[in-house]
Order: sequence, then structure tokens, then C-alpha cells
Amino acid sequence: MTKLVRTTLFAVVLAALVAATAHAQRTVNLVGWAIGPDDPAIHRAENLEAAVDLMNAALEERGADYRVAIETDFETVSWDDYRRRILLGFESGQAPDIIISSHIDIGTWADAGYIAPLDDYIDRYEAFGDIADSLWDFVTYKGSVWGVPLNPEARPFYFNKKLLAELGWSDEEIAELPERVRSGDFTWRDVIDVSVQAVEAGVVEEGHGYWHRPVNGPDFWHTYYAFGGRLQDEETGQLVFTRDAALGMLTLYRDMVEQGVLTRDLINMPWNDWHRAVTDGRVLFNSAGTWTWAQWALEFGMGFEAVEETFGHALQPAAEPGGRPNTLSQPLAHMLFAGSENLDVAAELLSYVVSPELDVRALESAHLPVLESTRALPEFVEDEFLSQVVYMLDYTTAQPIHSGFGRYSDVFFRAISAVEAGQVDPEEGVEIVVDELRRALGDEVIIE
Amino acid sequence: MRSGRPRRPEAGESVSTRRAGAHLRTPALFLTPAFVVIALFFVLPAVVTVFLSLTDLSARTMTNPTFVGLANYEYILSSRWTPIVVRNTVLYVTLTLAFNVVMGLALAVSTSLLPDRIGNGLRLLWLLPRITSPVIYVLIWQALLAPAPFGLVGNLMGISRNVVNAHPWPTVILANGLIGASLGMLIFTAAIRSIPRDLFHASAVDGATTWQTVRRVVLPLMRWPIMFVTAYQTLSLLASFEYILLLTNGGPGFYTTEVWSLWAYKEAFQSYVGNVEFGLGAAMAAVLVVVGIVASLVYLRVFRFDELLSRPKVEVN
Repeated sequence: MTKLVRTTLFAVVLAALVAATAHAQRTVNLVGWAIGPDDPAIHRAENLEAAVDLMNAALEERGADYRVAIETDFETVSWDDYRRRILLGFESGQAPDIIISSHIDIGTWADAGYIAPLDDYIDRYEAFGDIADSLWDFVTYKGSVWGVPLNPEARPFYFNKKLLAELGWSDEEIAELPERVRSGDFTWRDVIDVSVQAVEAGVVEEGHGYWHRPVNGPDFWHTYYAFGGRLQDEETGQLVFTRDAALGMLTLYRDMVEQGVLTRDLINMPWNDWHRAVTDGRVLFNSAGTWTWAQWALEFGMGFEAVEETFGHALQPAAEPGGRPNTLSQPLAHMLFAGSENLDVAAELLSYVVSPELDVRALESAHLPVLESTRALPEFVEDEFLSQVVYMLDYTTAQPIHSGFGRYSDVFFRAISAVEAGQVDPEEGVEIVVDELRRALGDEVIIE
Repeated sequence: MRSGRPRRPEAGESVSTRRAGAHLRTPALFLTPAFVVIALFFVLPAVVTVFLSLTDLSARTMTNPTFVGLANYEYILSSRWTPIVVRNTVLYVTLTLAFNVVMGLALAVSTSLLPDRIGNGLRLLWLLPRITSPVIYVLIWQALLAPAPFGLVGNLMGISRNVVNAHPWPTVILANGLIGASLGMLIFTAAIRSIPRDLFHASAVDGATTWQTVRRVVLPLMRWPIMFVTAYQTLSLLASFEYILLLTNGGPGFYTTEVWSLWAYKEAFQSYVGNVEFGLGAAMAAVLVVVGIVASLVYLRVFRFDELLSRPKVEVN
């Protein structure tokens, strides 16, 4: 009897202890939002979930009294919708703890106090030390680090190899094109000349020689840079508008439309129509991103083999012979909501996101990894496309981090649209942009 | 059954005042919910909009906005685009409204002349776009108008251009008008059905043709429904921009199809890099509120709304 009582008591005490331990272990619930909008970039959200598993294993090992859970959301529609949702979240205090967005959002959001500076955390966790040094510049604003970079990319100038062959180019000539662009031998004017030939020979329809993106976005700035433009003054941080560069770029687009290289209906074309025309082999040259490679293969059903057979890639051409070709990168960044109650936990979670086994998933959407050690992994070395385009990062440019850049970008995009639609000539377009920038941004912009 | 004696008037309280108060109590009771709803959802937002329009509230200054007086209004007035956007708005509202009312009337009259089963079927078909989500509706338009070989219209007519960009205004007006006409169609059909049958019989006896019956009997009795549809659609069109946003986004080029409400929306909520200007957007919206109120007053006067509310001159019991 006594033994039975003792055993029962022992069992009860043990159960109570287990229950107490279980009760003491709390769960920190985080929310993380990510955006593609291209489907293959789903790993951005999935990596946050995978990092939770890594972190929980580490927490268990060190006997911590909490575990982490995360609820993620992946936006596939548009940047506009995504940013609006985040802004409303900021205003209502219900923004997610972790926000994945473009590095250029840092200016506005940091100025408004919506996102938290990460300098202390970057020093605290060793994992961040493996991130390529050059990437920190993209997330540094007013002397502080505001984000952990992810998925840098390059934006290549693509050419349809089959159409060039149809036009009479030999395999050697096609293979040499990236090097000709790189050396400044093949310029934007050559893009027009070859496109005109292709239209005249019936290889492509009129207006299908060269296509830039159809909606507002970063891909126009590499062309502006190619014409010698500046966007930001390094010393003062003010925005800069270079008249001559803008005029050169708008004149280029006007000439493209007038010579039947670029359709005047390109602006505002739905992205799906744009990709369908390109993947159907109806467009000779186009400017897009490295991730587009994966999109064409997966989302538009070409498969990687056909994409490789059809498209070649080069830097964005120079404006003048011998000029410098370029590309543009707009890495994303993990940012932390300043109003989050779990800033420390969210920051620690990011240190697990930047592990090589998760970082390497960037390849799935044809983005580049951020960690030095990932670039040594066989998956990266064996990825033919990415290892071929990684040199482009030596020629890359960036957009400024400035809260007035949204307005700047909107005004200039309208000018591009107006010039291509034949509404104004390039000179008039530049003057309108200058007026609008002065009116909207005042001292925040230097006109040169 | 009343219990006890009636209360005697207190000193200073006249019998007539007490009666007047009692007279208003029941209507007040019934009107209170409506007043509360109007105050909360119509008056308060308008007041808040005007208040916001006097600040520099933006994504950047959200935590610390400052009072800027009429600076936002000055900014709007000094913009080179203001006259163009005003012109676009007038064009859009007038043409779409004309299309809506005329098309709605034509549909109501023509479907009323048909046997009920066919008429109802046609009206139902016409309602389909209205019950379709705007995004799906615009996707259908885009699919129809995309350049060949993707767009149906382009393929059939041999147009290699994107019809939305080539003819932005007709596209915007047609896309809006085809949806808007269904509201007029429903209201006008109901109005036609409420016309006493005797009038149709009398006109038939007098030997009136169908057109004469429509012209001399139906249309004169449709004044109030036409007034309602015109006034309602004007206000609704002034504030609507979703189909333009989705179809042309205000382009192509500089503000080609940008209407006032779309401009306000873009300033307040849309920017490639999240810095949106709520103060400026609110100032634009406040202008729209004033225009809406003025338009309503003009309509009430033009259509002599007071006559609708006045007691009938002859009352038949």
C-alpha cells in the first residue's frame, strides 16, 4: 500500500513537473510578408518558415524557454498593392514583424520611423558577417543599416538567338554579341539598326524589335545611366536630374518608335501579354531581369532547355561606341517593423535565414545568393545561367534611397510614356520633367 | 386603455409647445438612425478630408504631420495638368452619362416591348457585367483588345495595335457605359411598368404608333426616374475611376485619360516607392466633394425636385 502511494505520488509530481515545464515554454508568434511577384520567388516566404525550424532546433539545444512560430504571406499580384498593404499596416500598428521589400523603400520607411535600425543585431550575430560586403551599401541609409539584403539580381539585355539566326547572323556572331556589348562596340544605336533590318526582313513584326518593361519600374534607369545620368548626389544625398542624359534616353525611345523598332502601345501592356510575346519568339531584343529567365521557363512553360536555346544575355548596351555598358540591381531586404513587440526574436530569426542552405534557394527564381559561402556551393557553380551572369554585378548600378524618389520616378515614367505615345517631343518631355520635379521636390532635387 | 389623469401643463409650458414636441417625437425617433449613419459615414469623412487637406500628411510625415494651410490647394491650382484633368473629367462624366442614360432608356423601352420572358432574359444578360468583379471585367476587355494574335478584336479586324492604347477614350467610355446602362435600364423598366395600362389602351384607341406612344406617353412620365439616374450617375461617375485605373492607368502619355478622382487616388495611395501624399490627395478629394454638392444642387433646381415633394394638387380618395 505504502509503495503504491509512493509510486502514485511520484507519478503525480512528475506529471506536474512536465506540465509546469510545458506551461513555461511560450511561443513567440511572428508574422512575415514577402513578395515575388513572380511565382518562382516563393522561397522568400518559405525560407522564413524554414528558418523557424532551424531557430527552434537551436533554441531547444540551448534550453531556451520559448519557441518561435511564423505566419507568412506571399504577394503575387503587384508591388503597388503590396506597398499599400504594408503602409496601412504601419499606420494601424498591425504591420508584420518581418517585411521583405525593395531596398529603395528604406528611405521613406526609415524617415517615417516605421522600420527599425539593425546595426546592433548585425554586430550580434556572426551569420551576417558572411554577406557579401558590397550588398550592405544597398541597405545603408543615413549611416545606419536598415535591412538584411536578399536576392540581388542583374537586369540583362536579352536577345533572341533564333531570330538573329533567321536574320542571317552566324553562330559565332551571335555568341560574340555579349562581348561586343561588354566592350562598348554594340550600342543602343546598333540595337535600332539591327531591329530595323529584322523588321524589313520580316523576321519580326513592326514594333517588335526592342521592348523595355511596360510599366513604371527600375529598368529604365540603367539606360539613363548609360547616357551619363546621375540620380543622387553622393555628398548631399539630394536627388539629381541630368537633362542631357534624359534627353538622350527619350530621343532614343522616340527614334525607336518612329523607326518601327518599339511599338507605341508598349506602355501599360499587361505583363502577361509582354511575356507571352517574348516567349512566343515575336520580339528580337528586350530588357528584363535575371529572374525573368526562371519565369519564362516555369511560369510561361518554356522549360529551362528551351529558354537556354532561345535567349542570349548581355549587359545593357552603352549609349555611344566605347561607352560603358551596365545593368541595375535592386536587391530586396528583410526589414523589421519598428512597432513589433518581438524585435529581438525577429532579428535572431533573420540570422537563420542567411544560412547557405536557405540562401541557395535564390537560384530557383534566378536570383543571386547573398552569402560568400553560398557562391562556393556546387549548386551555384553548376548553375550555368547564374554563373554566366554573375560578372554583371561588376557593372551594376542602383537606384537612390530617397523618400522623394517615388515622385521623381513617376514623373519621368510619364515623360517616357508621353514621348512614346507621340504626345510630346523629347525636348518638351525633359522640360516638363524639370518643371514637375522642381515643383514637387524643390530643394530635394538638383537639376544639372 | 389610459390610466390616471392626464398631466397638467407645468408653469410656463404652453399646451401648443407640448403638442408640437409630441408631434415631432415619433418622426425624430425614426429619423435618428439615418441621421447617425449620415453623420458618421458622410459628414464626418468629408470634414476629416477637409482637415487632412490642410496638412502635409504623407507616408514620411505620418507620425508628425504639420499644418500647411492652403498650400495643397495652391499646388493643385499651379499644376499644368489641372486644366487637362478637369477637361478629362468633364468629358468622361458627360459622355459616359449620356451613354448610360440613352442606352438605359433604349434598353428599358425595347425590352418592355418584348414578351416578358424574352425581355427579362435580355435584362438579365445585360446585368452580367455589373455582377462581375471589375478586375475580371477589365481582364476580359484587355483580352479582347490585346494586339493580334492575342486579342479577339485585333484578330478579327486585322489591327496589330493594342486597341486600349490606340483608342483610350472610346474604350474607357464603352467599358464604363456598358455597365452603367444596366442601372438605368432597371429603374426605367420599373417606371414604365408603373404607368397605368389605361394610358396605353387610350393611346392605342387613338391610333398612336409605337414610337408615338413612347414619345408622347412613356417619356413624359419618366422625368423623375431620368432625374434620379442622371443625378446619381453624375455623382457616381465623378468618384469612379477603377475601370480607368485598370484599363489605361490614366495614360497613355501625360494624363491622357486621367480623371480627377484617379489623380487624387494616385496622389494619396499610389507611388512606385511608397511615399504617398495623403494631404494632397485629401485636398483633391475635397474639391470633388464641393463639385458633387454643387452638381446635386443644380440637378435639384433643374429638375424641380421641390415639385416632386410638394403635395399633389388633386387627391383622389
